[in-house]
Amino acid sequence: METKAVTNAKLLAARRRHSGWVHPSKPWGAIALFIGPVMVYYCIFVIYPVLATFYYSLLHMTPTGGRIVTTFVGLGNFDRLLNDGIFIQAVKNTLRWGVVGPALEMLTATTLAVVVYFRVPLHRFYRTAWFTPVLVSGVIVGLVFRWVFNVDWGLLNVALRAIGLDRLALNWLGRRDTPLWCVVFVHYWATFGYSFILLLAGLTAIPEELIEASYIDGASTWQAVVKVMLPMLRPTFVTVLILSFMGKMRAFNVVWALTGGGPMHFSETVATYVQTLAFGQQSLDLGYPSAIAVAWFAVVCIGVGLLNRWLSRRVEQ
Amino acid sequence: MYKRKIFVYVAGLLALAMLLAACGPAPTPEVVTQVKEVEVTRVVAGTPEVVVVTATPEPAQPKEGPTAIVWWSHWANEPSKRVVIEKIRADYEAEHPDVKIVLTWWDKNPMRDALRNTMNAGEGAPDITSDFCLPDEVAAGWCLPLTDVLPWENFVPGTQEASSYAALGYPDNYKYDIGLSMNMIFYNKEIFEELGIQVPDNYQFTQDEWIEMSEKCSAAGYAGAADAIGNRNYPARFPVWFALFNLVGPEEFNKYYSGQQSWDTPQIRQVLDWFVQLRDAGFWPSTFSTMTIDEFHVYFHTQHKACTLWIPSWYTGRAFKPVEQGGQDPNWHFGMLRYPLMNGATAPDAIYVAYESGYHVTSATRHPDIAKDILVFASQPKYGALWTAVTNIPSAIVYDPVKDWPSDELLEELGVVPGQWQWYWEEYNKVYGGLQGGQAPTPLCDKVEQAWASAINEGLPLGLITVDEAIEMMDANLCK
Repeated sequence: METKAVTNAKLLAARRRHSGWVHPSKPWGAIALFIGPVMVYYCIFVIYPVLATFYYSLLHMTPTGGRIVTTFVGLGNFDRLLNDGIFIQAVKNTLRWGVVGPALEMLTATTLAVVVYFRVPLHRFYRTAWFTPVLVSGVIVGLVFRWVFNVDWGLLNVALRAIGLDRLALNWLGRRDTPLWCVVFVHYWATFGYSFILLLAGLTAIPEELIEASYIDGASTWQAVVKVMLPMLRPTFVTVLILSFMGKMRAFNVVWALTGGGPMHFSETVATYVQTLAFGQQSLDLGYPSAIAVAWFAVVCIGVGLLNRWLSRRVEQ
Repeated sequence: MYKRKIFVYVAGLLALAMLLAACGPAPTPEVVTQVKEVEVTRVVAGTPEVVVVTATPEPAQPKEGPTAIVWWSHWANEPSKRVVIEKIRADYEAEHPDVKIVLTWWDKNPMRDALRNTMNAGEGAPDITSDFCLPDEVAAGWCLPLTDVLPWENFVPGTQEASSYAALGYPDNYKYDIGLSMNMIFYNKEIFEELGIQVPDNYQFTQDEWIEMSEKCSAAGYAGAADAIGNRNYPARFPVWFALFNLVGPEEFNKYYSGQQSWDTPQIRQVLDWFVQLRDAGFWPSTFSTMTIDEFHVYFHTQHKACTLWIPSWYTGRAFKPVEQGGQDPNWHFGMLRYPLMNGATAPDAIYVAYESGYHVTSATRHPDIAKDILVFASQPKYGALWTAVTNIPSAIVYDPVKDWPSDELLEELGVVPGQWQWYWEEYNKVYGGLQGGQAPTPLCDKVEQAWASAINEGLPLGLITVDEAIEMMDANLCK
């Protein structure tokens, strides 16, 4: 039996050779030429900085006597994190954002993607309009919304006053309780179009026959959406949710342009705090900000891992 | 098949070549093709405008050409200061044809980021730069000593001492100063008249009168002061600085300011309680948290929305420029006031004197002798006079007003209308003339600087913390 199988394989190989179909050997030279430059770029500008950050996180850098003296402090910088009130405040703010931001984004992006999928009137306009903010630089978004939130002449307060809600016309960026939520809203406005487009693409990829079949079986549009389309959308949904969560965890430019993390760190995020410590202060110590970056990298990895696992299970179910 | 292979290899090689080109070393200062320079156009006689032309790339130069000195300076938005520095550059180049000075204008914060990054990277840093030799940078050896370089006798007494970090163990001098900085208070004469506010004969309101004045201004729809923290971490500190200086005198003030002394004292409480009373009286503009430094200048001198402005003498850099560039109308004359007279003041007749941003030679320079020589050249009395004549800011360089003062022709050539701001100096001499100048403060450590920014610049004025919490924050961050 075994001899017969070997003979068949040999015959098959001979036939392929005879017919001119040969399994090509991989063109390693060309592959190296194409991938090599990218890999070199990736190693220099991604891998090396990441490894350097890990290394720096174990050091303390002190300028003294005309040079910067580097001292190995082991986990000392990480120990310091636990007693840093501003870091803890930044973590709390970022986590609040990490929960509320993606939830808000997924809810609206999914709803709007379904609406556009069903080609409501002006659906092409909506598709463009909702995606356009993604194309605007975060810094510009931050500056524009700084004007929108201006207490005197900002669009928001002017509108509130115009409809008689003067009491709600607050100093949005100068209070203890509102700056973080302003940041959350502005970042949501600037980025939800990305999730919207991905979910719309996911909906478009669902075979139309399935949806038609549900109609034939007597399902209403609502039932088709809830019982057929949304379950089919779950894999895309999981990916978009994770991307959204990661986006909030490392968001920087909108916060920096809108509030700079202030006032008094009430809208500080981990990313802005790292920037402030590394470049915005007199200190030349890159060790401590590197430790924050490493610790936060670990937190985000764990968060993404848990989220991925939980959502994947639900998809499988 | 063969052609396809060739194509693949050629395309790959091209990609590799492009990557290697992109990763190549940055041009050295001798090759100035990468550096952008903002040029100031020649000014047509009779027009006060100084127009900034868009950034133009420097033409490539052969290596045998003049030695390039890269000079970074902030004051991008203060044209009169730029005119003086550009004049120094032009004069130096005229006398030294073998030197080409590549001057780049920046806003302060981005410049500091760029300096730190280039100094850390060991590539791309300038030869001369403004305003970054803070204690850590000096300790790191990023600034070359100028102790035996500058002709200190050309400067006002105290300048050399103020440019050292002796208290931190670095007794050398590192900074070239061209301008002095005095803290001043301006008021809007029309608003005062409208509200019936009478200025005392000695131009000094008491601390209680300041509260009353702020209440009056606020009730009439004006802010007590044009001041905001939109893009700077210090403007709201001014009332605390001025009042504390007046209350405890220069020496004690320095200890508090630099975090050498606990803030839990009756004097600090008196000042901070008054600071909170000012806030509650409507001292700050409603747009306090978002308005930028340029905007609050306009808020005072053009929009006339505030009764007063608390500002160092560098007000003129942003305000005494053409109206269409955001400057004030030269025919609008404001008044000046002395610091609030605090109850129990020990220095009622003192005025806070410090230094403007100055220049340093960085340790990254490849031509330290030339870079230092440029600053020596800029220390001539005629440039001190030019600084004052063009910027309307007192100079740190001593000059003879008769011999060194620039001619009207030169001033007109530089876009200055001679005598245009004479009223400003008359008011200045009337109010501040004869006051005793207090010395510049000791450099701060990072912790107390952050506490100043957080507690005094943001927390108290915005009502986010109490006086007790502010004192606690300051005390937790003393430089000890």
